[in-house]
Amino acid sequence: MKSAPFEYVAPSTISGVLEILGQNDPDEVKLMAGGQSLMPLLNMRLSRPALVLDLGRVADLDFIRETDQGVVIGAMTTKRAVEDSELILREHPLFWESTVAIGHPPIRNRGTVGGSMAQADPASEYPAVALVLEAELVAVSARGERTIPADDFFVTYLTTCLEPDEVLTEIRIPRLAPRTGWAFQEVARRHGDFAIVGATATLGLEAGVAVEPRIAVFGAGDRALRFPSAESLLAGQPATDEVIDEVAAQVAAAVEDPLDDAHASADYRRHLAGVLVGRVLREAAVRAAEASTGA
Amino acid sequence: MASEQPQQGGIRLKVRVNGEQHESVVDPRMNLADYLREELRLTATHVGCEHGVCGICNVLVDGQTVRSCLMLAVQVDGKEVLTVEGLAEGGKLHPIQEAFIEEHGLQCGFCTGGFMMAICELFDRNPSPSEEEIKEVVGGQICRCTGYNAILRSVQNAAAKMGASRS
Amino acid sequence: MAIEIPKNLDELPTTRPRYVGRGIRRVEDVGLLTGRVEFVDDVVLPRMLHCAILRSPFPHARITGVDTQAAEALEGVAAVVTGEDARRWSLPAQSSPEGWGTHCIAGDKVHYVGEPVAAVAASSRRVAEDALELIEVDYEPLEPVADPFKAMKPESPQVLDAQETNVMLDRVFTWGDVDGAFAEAAHVFQEKFRWNRLGANPTETFGCISEWDPMSLDLTIHGSIQSPGMFGLGRAATFSLPSNKVNIISHAHGGSFGGKGGTRGCDISCLLSRKVDGRPVKWIEDRGEYLLSGGGQAWDRHYEVALAVDAQGIVSGLKVGLVDDLGATGEAYGAISAAKPLAAFTGPYTIPVAQYDLKLVATNKLPCGPYRGMGPPPHFFVLEQMMDIAARSLGEDPAEFRRKNFIPADQFPYTIASGNEYDSGNYGEVLDQVLALSDYSALRAAQVEARAEGRLVGVGVANAIEPGVFDWNAYAIVGMPGTGVPEGATVNIDILGNATVRVGFSLEGQGQYTLVCQLVADYFGYEPENVRVVQLDTQSAPPSFGPGGSRLGVAITGAVLGACERIREKMARVVAVLMQSEPENIEFMDGKFTLKGAPGAEMTVAEVAGTMLARSDLLPPDIDPRPEATHVWTAAGRTPADEEGRAKSYLTAAHAVHIVQVEIDPETGMVEIQRYCLADDCGTRLNPDTVEGQTEGSVVQGIGAALLEEYVYDEDAQPLTTSFMDYLMPTVFDAPKLEMVAVETPSPFTPLGAKGCGEGAIHTTPAAVMCAINDALAPLGTSAREVPAAPMRLWKLIKEARERASDENNNY
Ligand SMILES: Cc1cc2nc3c(=O)[nH]c(=O)nc-3n(C[C@H](O)[C@H](O)[C@H](O)COP(=O)(O)OP(=O)(O)OC[C@H]3O[C@@H](n4cnc5c(N)ncnc54)[C@H](O)[C@@H]3O)c2cc1C
Ligand code: FES
Ligand code: FES
Repeated sequence: MKSAPFEYVAPSTISGVLEILGQNDPDEVKLMAGGQSLMPLLNMRLSRPALVLDLGRVADLDFIRETDQGVVIGAMTTKRAVEDSELILREHPLFWESTVAIGHPPIRNRGTVGGSMAQADPASEYPAVALVLEAELVAVSARGERTIPADDFFVTYLTTCLEPDEVLTEIRIPRLAPRTGWAFQEVARRHGDFAIVGATATLGLEAGVAVEPRIAVFGAGDRALRFPSAESLLAGQPATDEVIDEVAAQVAAAVEDPLDDAHASADYRRHLAGVLVGRVLREAAVRAAEASTGA
Repeated sequence: MASEQPQQGGIRLKVRVNGEQHESVVDPRMNLADYLREELRLTATHVGCEHGVCGICNVLVDGQTVRSCLMLAVQVDGKEVLTVEGLAEGGKLHPIQEAFIEEHGLQCGFCTGGFMMAICELFDRNPSPSEEEIKEVVGGQICRCTGYNAILRSVQNAAAKMGASRS
Repeated sequence: MAIEIPKNLDELPTTRPRYVGRGIRRVEDVGLLTGRVEFVDDVVLPRMLHCAILRSPFPHARITGVDTQAAEALEGVAAVVTGEDARRWSLPAQSSPEGWGTHCIAGDKVHYVGEPVAAVAASSRRVAEDALELIEVDYEPLEPVADPFKAMKPESPQVLDAQETNVMLDRVFTWGDVDGAFAEAAHVFQEKFRWNRLGANPTETFGCISEWDPMSLDLTIHGSIQSPGMFGLGRAATFSLPSNKVNIISHAHGGSFGGKGGTRGCDISCLLSRKVDGRPVKWIEDRGEYLLSGGGQAWDRHYEVALAVDAQGIVSGLKVGLVDDLGATGEAYGAISAAKPLAAFTGPYTIPVAQYDLKLVATNKLPCGPYRGMGPPPHFFVLEQMMDIAARSLGEDPAEFRRKNFIPADQFPYTIASGNEYDSGNYGEVLDQVLALSDYSALRAAQVEARAEGRLVGVGVANAIEPGVFDWNAYAIVGMPGTGVPEGATVNIDILGNATVRVGFSLEGQGQYTLVCQLVADYFGYEPENVRVVQLDTQSAPPSFGPGGSRLGVAITGAVLGACERIREKMARVVAVLMQSEPENIEFMDGKFTLKGAPGAEMTVAEVAGTMLARSDLLPPDIDPRPEATHVWTAAGRTPADEEGRAKSYLTAAHAVHIVQVEIDPETGMVEIQRYCLADDCGTRLNPDTVEGQTEGSVVQGIGAALLEEYVYDEDAQPLTTSFMDYLMPTVFDAPKLEMVAVETPSPFTPLGAKGCGEGAIHTTPAAVMCAINDALAPLGTSAREVPAAPMRLWKLIKEARERASDENNNY
């Protein structure tokens, strides 16, 4: 299990990165962030780039900043740094909670926020969280910079809308409306494994009625999925068990072509999507209720 | 040295391992585990899966536990690496090693280095971890022999030992 | 003169054993913890090359061409071997049953995904893997067969060309009037079960360095080898070499659990070495290779079982039908796992008659090999589910139903229907201990409450026999020849009185070197520091099988104590001469030789050794002056198997009862183990820490078997679990806190009364966890019949049961 040969470069600036991407056939280049997904693929020779372009020494991609709109996280920020960030814990406890559900501490020491977004593993936590938080992802290339809503970013199994010559530089997470409840749950065969299915939701409550609910599921389909029609079914309704069950059932029904593998059949995944959406909605409603009575 | 321009063949690398400075020229595709084992002949870092799941190859890079099979050797240029060989000092076992002996925390011993390195980092961050905190840190490690009960006891014993030596 | 080996601790020549019977610091640990112990991949030999193996992506295909030219031309490549080299220089692997082996590299046909088709020796593993990509193999895919029931049909694709069927063995073994018992039974229970493939997966895979000199034909192999002696004999047979030309140097290894395997890859590295004029060739199996084609897949089983029970609730007969999918060949001895249940077929019960309808079938999957427990764990899983089915149907408590079927304590030694003799036991006591430990009635009360809340909480009570100290005769039905497994040790005392013990097996994890130190220390009145254990290669070591079959602890105790006895006897003769008396008047206790009736006349072992070595002129001429002796221990009284496979085979029968509490999340099918209690009796505990360690590890492997581990193949025999992301081994989060209590019923047949205990809890754990799961499911009127109880499977059962229930309600 040894990687095929490749050339290696580790530029110290983003312009250096873009220059090298410009000089080479971008299809032959592989960007390396924390390597926690890429290295196994290299070791197994499932990925065979001619050139590995290591982002590890690029200045200014590793930061967590508060802005007027919310929080901005540099693509090369490790999950460990997110986990250790008071700011994230305070501003985006949902993002924090999903971070510590990813793998194990030694994986989080290396694995980056940008790497997980770019990897777009359908069972990965971050893409789903990016969807419900309505994050934006910023990418640069020689052609300039663009800002991509999370909704457009994740295309399908292990595929984002990034062009081969584009580099993800930061993730912008807008501040949640005050008193928003949130929740995150997953079912994995073992603690820390990629989830079989997971779900996350945010939701406000005004006089017991759900406001602006957002629901996303991961591990069920070819990418993290958001469910606008289920959300509108819930919006304006009281967050009762009955309503939530109905919304959860609608989500389960709406999962197209659920994944089917050795650990979980398509049926089982569809079912779990419903169960977990039910659970996160209940939990988010409790948090929202606590937040409004607390306030 | 980290390179601004693509390099094949050998890349020069300077790294401190267990306090000792090394300079090597390595194939860029060589991972850190292979570098430690093949080039530096530091064979206490064992390899169990080469795809990041067993945790047996853990080493510390600048104080953080990493899977040495999931890092390139060239990436530790300019960094500080600690391996199992660096635990015992001056002919004396590290308290973590002592604790594993006392609690029967190892059987074949093939996995144990990976556990000890992860625990080193844990103690750095948190000298008296709870059982849940210990589990979280070693939750990504595979030991096929012990059934983990004895490993948890070993970590608790080590924490007590190190706490005692601090106070 | 026959050597008397102490049968219990009191017979040791010490007033009070200071080391045997308690846990001590293991002598193995410092080297292991500092990285100083040399595993095979740590070894670098001069001019060494590295091997990588090209493997078939097809489960079944003709090979119509192999082009190695480009690979040979790559810089750094020293040699490439193909099926042609294998046919020229080696024979097909030996197998069980006989005639089901193939060459180590495929010739005209591949039989499973991962089968080697070519291999490279190169300057590094990286370059060797580069070269593999340059080898071109032309395949003509053939229809594969992955299902043993299909494979048994005449129209099935034929796996091995050399055979006319895929059925390796089809026999019914009948022990007693089984039909009569079933005809007369008050109740007959019948059920089908499925145990899916799983395996050992030691943290270190197999590895070796082979040097085969084409001039002298000497073959030397360094490796992580569990049973070096057997391994050497196997290589000699495969390469048609005289057995004394093969030398095996086994290195400390990272566990084995029977699943180290490695013979094919090792043979390939030998062929490569021969091709490069005897240069050392290292092959380190990587985890991908291990999961795809290594030594660790076992027990791919389909069961159909029937239990006859009389009006008093006593089990009067057992029928087990087993279709065992052994994969493509018999080379890895998976068949042995189907034979071993004979050693404990009826478990701890008095079931007087039994039948085994055994079919061993070839499919296009990896050949099955051994795994810890070697076959009984699935057997006890089905037997214990049947006991629960019977108890539930008769309205009896599962613990009490078992108790009334136990072999009573006063009936040992006890011969079971399938022929083996159990040495000793006190099953009721073991049960009582664990009932008390778990506070069983409180568990049941809590369950009643939980059920009232609609929660799926279950309590499993299961028990099993662990046959210990294996003998080949146990596997006679699948063609293993002979009886008797020797283990030897040489004890040597140096001129200053320190002891060195030479053995033939390497470190594997069970702490046998520590045990050796404990034994010698107590025998000679030493400290463990005065004893050193060294391992020899097969050309120098005393006869040795090594660890396996829950045997080595007992066997090495016999060998070491036997050697100590021989030294004592020799020294007594020397002391007699020096004290001008007769050997009968010399006594030995606490490390001192004394002369009866002559207070003050005493010599220490060190003094005697010093005198023997320095002053051989003082010794009688017929005494060899070396204070050294070798003893080779073999279990006494083993009998050849009869026509129906019956034999006195495994020497000891350990027993354990496990009580497990689980809760199932009905919505997800996830199982949580809430409590895990066990009592076990493996006779005298020579080192209780070691026994506990073996038990803890084995329980967690058993939990892996019950809940997580499975090698999945699709219907075209493509393996789907080829990384550690998919083959799920338990982590710390899957390991419950274990509550344990020990019962000690010494064996009357073994050194110090110890029983085999290395394989241990895995005999019982899968059964116990499944009993608990089925107890939780009982109110729904469903039960799990398939291992592992993956959440998807349990969810489906629960869902179907609820649908059935609501259909029924609607029908009313
Ligand atoms: C044992 C284990 C358990 C794990 N468990 C989980 C889990 O439970 N959940 C989970 O989500 N993940 C899990 N992971 C994966 C881990 O979280 C990875 O860190 C993550 O998927 C990728 O991040 P990375 O920084 O390591 O990226 P890399 O592996 O370096 O890169 C991943 C991909 O993204 C591309 N890429 C990286 N950065 C950029 C960028 N800035 N711009 C454009 N493209 C980029 C790379 O080219 C590559 O294709 C696990 C990994 C292991 C080894
Ligand atoms: S060898 Fe690196 S994690 Fe297994
Ligand atoms: S001690 Fe053997 S794998 Fe952990």
